[in-house]
Amino acid sequence: MKEGFRQSMAWLHTWSGLLVGWVLFLVFSAGTAAYYRDEITFWMQPELHAASRTPAPQADALAHGVDFLQRRGPESPRWFITLPTEREPTVRVFWSGPPPPPAAPGEQRRRTRFENAALDPASGEVASAARATRGGEFIYRLHFDLHYIPTLWARWIVGFCAMFMLVAIVSGIVTHKRIFKDFFTFRPKKGQRSWLDAHNATAVLALPYHLMITYTGLVTLMFMYMPWGPQVAYKDHGGIDAFFADVFPSGGPRDAKASGRHAALAPLAPMLARARAHWDGAPAGRIVVSHPNDAGATVSISRQEGRGLSQNQPSMLFDGTSGALLSTAGDAPRAAAETRGVLYGLHIARFSDPLLRALFFVAGLAGCLMVATGLLLWAVKERQTYAKVLKRGGRIGFGLRLVDGLNLGNIAGVPIAFGAYFWANRLVPVGIDERAAVEIRWFFIAWGAALLAGLARPTRRMWQLQLGIGALLFAGLPLLNALTTATHLGVSLRTGLWPVAGFDLVALALGLGLGAAAWITGRVRHKAKPAAAARAVEAAP
Amino acid sequence: MTPLLLGCAAFAGALAGFLALSLAMDRHHEDAYGRGTTPGRRRPWLRAAGTALLLLSLGASLGLQGATQGWVLWFGVLTAAALQVVGIVGYAPRQAARIGLCAALLAVASLLPGLLAGSDPGHPQSTRSGSLRMISSHSV
Repeated sequence: MKEGFRQSMAWLHTWSGLLVGWVLFLVFSAGTAAYYRDEITFWMQPELHAASRTPAPQADALAHGVDFLQRRGPESPRWFITLPTEREPTVRVFWSGPPPPPAAPGEQRRRTRFENAALDPASGEVASAARATRGGEFIYRLHFDLHYIPTLWARWIVGFCAMFMLVAIVSGIVTHKRIFKDFFTFRPKKGQRSWLDAHNATAVLALPYHLMITYTGLVTLMFMYMPWGPQVAYKDHGGIDAFFADVFPSGGPRDAKASGRHAALAPLAPMLARARAHWDGAPAGRIVVSHPNDAGATVSISRQEGRGLSQNQPSMLFDGTSGALLSTAGDAPRAAAETRGVLYGLHIARFSDPLLRALFFVAGLAGCLMVATGLLLWAVKERQTYAKVLKRGGRIGFGLRLVDGLNLGNIAGVPIAFGAYFWANRLVPVGIDERAAVEIRWFFIAWGAALLAGLARPTRRMWQLQLGIGALLFAGLPLLNALTTATHLGVSLRTGLWPVAGFDLVALALGLGLGAAAWITGRVRHKAKPAAAARAVEAAP
Repeated sequence: MTPLLLGCAAFAGALAGFLALSLAMDRHHEDAYGRGTTPGRRRPWLRAAGTALLLLSLGASLGLQGATQGWVLWFGVLTAAALQVVGIVGYAPRQAARIGLCAALLAVASLLPGLLAGSDPGHPQSTRSGSLRMISSHSV
């Protein structure tokens, strides 16, 4: 190695970061927003804002769910019932339609259709026809499934980027010579120095979070990225599907077959009571009924998440016709499974209370800023190598121009896309076909437009314009909410409708932040020439 | 001890601790007190106070969320507080000492009611925070 170790790590840090930075920025933004996926979904369904938030006993909520499914999907092969939580006050039911008939040759295989509904836990009524929207679920999926491309590809792309992120973090630590000396340092208004300081501060101060979130992000999909262990171990025991059934039993037995004989489903309340007693009274979370109304029916009940760090929850399996307990799982988790459960749980942070979730959100924002400042830093440094060329009236190279455009279209464009998605939620007419997909289309239309405009004219003026649009979109959300619903900030704050009030306030804060960025960009634009001259004088001796 | 007071102690302790540690560094000390000044003999005291306040923050976090999630909370609190310190020493360095002192007093004061109420046997955390408080009051 001709250069020192640190220089080679600096090279690695620069290029591994730049290569995947734009995807990472999207993944980081979506992941940060997804901490509030339930709240976002709730905000995006204003029809539910007025619904009663009085908690109902779990047994009642479950009974309402079963009644509803007996009416709507008695023939369905599988029911999923998610009982209400503090953050999600409705009973969510989810059922699969009958399996599709085998496709004729040459015809594309049709997928099983899934249907879902939200019920009021106290009355059992369908919670008034809420508008069709994917809500926070879209953002959550965007975080690792992207959109418009096959899921499997998307997960490989995101995993690839996450691996590079891990490389960039570790090489970044090695290459940062003054990690403790510059710990608190931020020198504003000093050009490249300030960008480096901002990159260092957002990276170093939230380092425990960045390391944790990148590593655990890879762990969430580890069986996809590295399936070889289980493949070998289960080679003669039913393959990888059998492995999943063994390790994650809460979905009910995978190989359970319908017997074809009709049999009444046993009442679920005693099973629920038995499971809760087994868990010292802890509430149940999800109930999966396989082959309801069949002699081979089974009922799997898992404990509600939100008690420990681990994502793994114990579950109990009951016979669906007799109500007898068949098996329990996860009461004494094995070390390896529990390790993965804790890492997974840390990543998605479903365990956390509002304070902890807010801190995860702040650290996530720091991650977005770290990626953004890193990308900008590359462009700022690269631009200096063109200083002489520019002075002679030459032009910057294609690579820098491309990076400039992509930076602009992503860092300023992604906030515009999110803003457009939320605005579309309120402005796209209710009841049109494919409404949920139309909202999502607006996300990508807005982002695409921002990208094209950024690539066409990657100028400071365009930065100012796009940051300004993002600021208006976000800061305008509380106003939009006030105009389109009865739950504006005055009402939501007074009545304690925290998900709606919190969404409005955070949107306002993000809008102000983007506005400040636009303002600073504009101010620097006016001062750019004198400041550059002053720097040149300072640097001369 | 109420969660609100514990949360207050966790945040204020981390903020004050990091501010003390930053004032123990030459560059930030110069920004706060003028060019040419150094922490001098106060440096070890500032470092000790900073460390003690960060430990106080840890104690409060563990008391608030228990031994497992408490650590996660503490790292989150540290990140949030450190980002604020960067803002303070970057934009208002002359206020750093004053803000740090206020935060330190707030951190200690919000633990006082729980300590005065006595260490009830079911709450081992309060005795632990008590010893931390003693360390910090010695060094401040």
